[in-house]
Amino acid sequence: MSGNAKSSADGAEIHDRGYRRYEGARSGVVGAVRSLVWQTIRSILGLGRPARHKVFPVIVVVIAALPAVVFLGVALLFRDLGDDSLVNYSDLFGFSVAPIMIYAAMVAPEALVRDRRDGMFSLYLSTPLTRPTYVAAKALAVLAVMMIIALGPVLLALVGYTVVGDGPDGVVEWFKVFFRLTAAGLVISAVLAAVSMAGSSVTDRRAFASVAVILVIFGGAIVSSILVDAADFSNTYALLDPMGTAGETATRILGESPEQGGSVSELSDIDTGVVFLGTAAWFAAGAGIVGYKYRKLEAT
Amino acid sequence: MSGSVSGLRAIVIAHRLLVRQLVTRGRIAALLVVGIVVSLVVALVSRAVGEDESTEEALEVGIEVMSNLGFTIVVPIVALVFASAAFGDLKEDGTLVYLWLRPMDRWPIVVGAWLATVSVSLPVTLVPLTVAALIADVGSELVWATVLACVVGNLAYSAVFMLLGLLTKNSVVWGIGYILIWEGLVAGISGVGEKLAIRGYTRSIIADQTGVDLYLGDLSLMTAIVVPVLVILAAFVLSTLRLRSLDVA
Amino acid sequence: MSGSESSPVPQPVIPPPPPPPPSESSARPIVEVENVTKSFGDVVAVSDVSFTVGPGVTALLGPNGAGKSTLFRMLCGLTAPSRGAVRVLGEKAREHREVRGRIGLAPQQDALLDRFTAYEFVELAGRTHGVADPSGRARQSLAYVDLDPEDPKRVGAYSKGMRQRVKLAAALVNDPDLLILDEPLTGLDPVQRNRMISLFHDLGDGGKCLLVSSHVLDEVARIGSNVLVVAQGRLVASGDYRRLRELMDDRPHRIRVQSDDARKLASALIGRGVADGAAVRENTLLIDTLNVDRFGRSIAPISSELGIRLREVVPTDDDLESVFRYLVERR
Repeated sequence: MSGNAKSSADGAEIHDRGYRRYEGARSGVVGAVRSLVWQTIRSILGLGRPARHKVFPVIVVVIAALPAVVFLGVALLFRDLGDDSLVNYSDLFGFSVAPIMIYAAMVAPEALVRDRRDGMFSLYLSTPLTRPTYVAAKALAVLAVMMIIALGPVLLALVGYTVVGDGPDGVVEWFKVFFRLTAAGLVISAVLAAVSMAGSSVTDRRAFASVAVILVIFGGAIVSSILVDAADFSNTYALLDPMGTAGETATRILGESPEQGGSVSELSDIDTGVVFLGTAAWFAAGAGIVGYKYRKLEAT
Repeated sequence: MSGSVSGLRAIVIAHRLLVRQLVTRGRIAALLVVGIVVSLVVALVSRAVGEDESTEEALEVGIEVMSNLGFTIVVPIVALVFASAAFGDLKEDGTLVYLWLRPMDRWPIVVGAWLATVSVSLPVTLVPLTVAALIADVGSELVWATVLACVVGNLAYSAVFMLLGLLTKNSVVWGIGYILIWEGLVAGISGVGEKLAIRGYTRSIIADQTGVDLYLGDLSLMTAIVVPVLVILAAFVLSTLRLRSLDVA
Repeated sequence: MSGSESSPVPQPVIPPPPPPPPSESSARPIVEVENVTKSFGDVVAVSDVSFTVGPGVTALLGPNGAGKSTLFRMLCGLTAPSRGAVRVLGEKAREHREVRGRIGLAPQQDALLDRFTAYEFVELAGRTHGVADPSGRARQSLAYVDLDPEDPKRVGAYSKGMRQRVKLAAALVNDPDLLILDEPLTGLDPVQRNRMISLFHDLGDGGKCLLVSSHVLDEVARIGSNVLVVAQGRLVASGDYRRLRELMDDRPHRIRVQSDDARKLASALIGRGVADGAAVRENTLLIDTLNVDRFGRSIAPISSELGIRLREVVPTDDDLESVFRYLVERR
């Protein structure tokens, strides 16, 4: 009850309506991007909302982390088995393929489609945000959430192995592994974030965006595996699988090719350069669609 | 002036309303593309295999392609698109009230919605998959198996995903979770899993009809038809109860 | 400093007893709301509300978020009350199939089945109501709200005002005993508004029970003589509109005047009986007056006569919100 409440001598009163003019500092574009990133992450994960909104994201993260936990348990229980009991990191990435796909189908549709459908996009453009900064903020948020599911489990494994005493030898080696893991997780997240955002740019229904994303990722995986495995097409066709291509890139980054005890895939025989090119192509295609759609999008 | 609407009339009305809402140009076009891709892949594969393999092997490859591409992705995803939208879109838009606040029982609305889903999504899946089976040209067993499994799968998935659309706002994501995690991971673990996933029944029908052994396809034809029917009935009951207790905007 | 003839604060009419229905006999009221409370989690949307409504037009007035729509949704059975009972024609619409057929609702949300034409939409509403001749009734209802049944455009392409009328036509198609219209006048131009309001009166005179909500005070004045006022989830006043308006007009209006000599102006205004109360703070003068018109006419001549320069004359609490505040806090 400050300045706005007024009263006269006869006891009549006008109550303070609580209106406050904002007089604090204004944080400009950086602040706008920062808060848009954070609010987007909150809405995707259901933070600050009732528990039922958090159920789904949490279940999927738990499922993604399960293999890492199981292997950690094995490592802990059978310490004397030696290095054979350890799973390699590219396999760990492989175990969470389904959770990563589900996140890709969930994350960008939640981040992008809702804003267009209920007019928030236009509202954001009336703030210091522009189209490029808006899309960049959304991309950062999507990437951050994808990193949780893509990188979380492997980092958990790394930390776990280290605690158990099976981690990389020496501090330098440890950081080498850590950075390779991060780079690998970043590549997978970036490719799927691009595909996810592309799918979310083409339709104004969240449900349909999710389906579009899943059709591209899951469908691409199945089509490429049929072409290569069943029909004996050249292994290069495996690049039609965005998830597999990004995963193979991760394997190369980790330096876990089959000769080094890594996992085998249809892409194992392909040149590293070609694999990287395929990954870059998927990323560029997704980003290109997003850029094109958002340049043309009308703000009402 | 106004009376109440009989169950049968209500089914017809709900069906008509929802078919109209479900069929949008974008959806049909997108799913048509999916159908064409499926047929194309099957055609490519069967031609490639047919050149240098025996017929039996070609049949096996055809079945593998069909059950992987058709029954792990096309059938469930197409059913998911339309079934979750049946009530999901009305709830999201705030138009459910135009069906809810009427002198109609709740069960015919559910049955009508399911029929609407099926009459849109079944053709969209059945036609391309049957065409694909015909292109594969590995014998009539595969065609017949595809048709039967497609019908059973579509009807069952539609009922389950329609219920999902009534239960959660984000039904498509939950549906994708079910398809990828439950059917893809959990139900793939042991011999028990297949009985708890619709995919186990569609695969069993294909295995039974073609005589080819298929992973997760060991159930008898009888079981593979009766259990999905029971699943559909259970989904009807739950959907009806849910529709009755729903808070309508 | 204070006014000489400060009138006692008028008491708003406390809910019961409701006004008797215009002319009907002592038949059972069409709508009965009994100690109804509705909460969503921690938020109480409607709190211990009771009233009954008979035939004729009744306006439900309240600011946005007062609980009007929640009340309507409970009446239609779209959501169940947390406590208390809501009955329409003696039954609960949520459980009773036939009662749902005797209600016509034009909901607040702008949503229609966008892929239908207006005729198809209203005809479908007729079918879903089990109307004997849905096509004929649809044409009749559309004509009633001045819409063309032959218009091939889909309602998705309609303007806000046309959509409002489509909603009303759909609500009328089953010739309901109870018509619930949630903010039916928003988005209409003044001509359509007048047309719509006279339509409400026709329907009310025909013996139907209409419940029409609005958050605009002047609209409510024209919609119906029977008014229910809701604020913050509570029923704060009910009864004949003219009587309520009188009571509201008894409340002193407060006007802020900025001038170069507030003290002198204050004593002149009070002395001439133009103001009933005044408070001075530096150059700001706060005037309480029961007669705004007279105040408005006098302020300029008086100040020019005294050589006082006026900088600003602003009514501070003339909006609906302050009326509600007044009603609620003086209970």
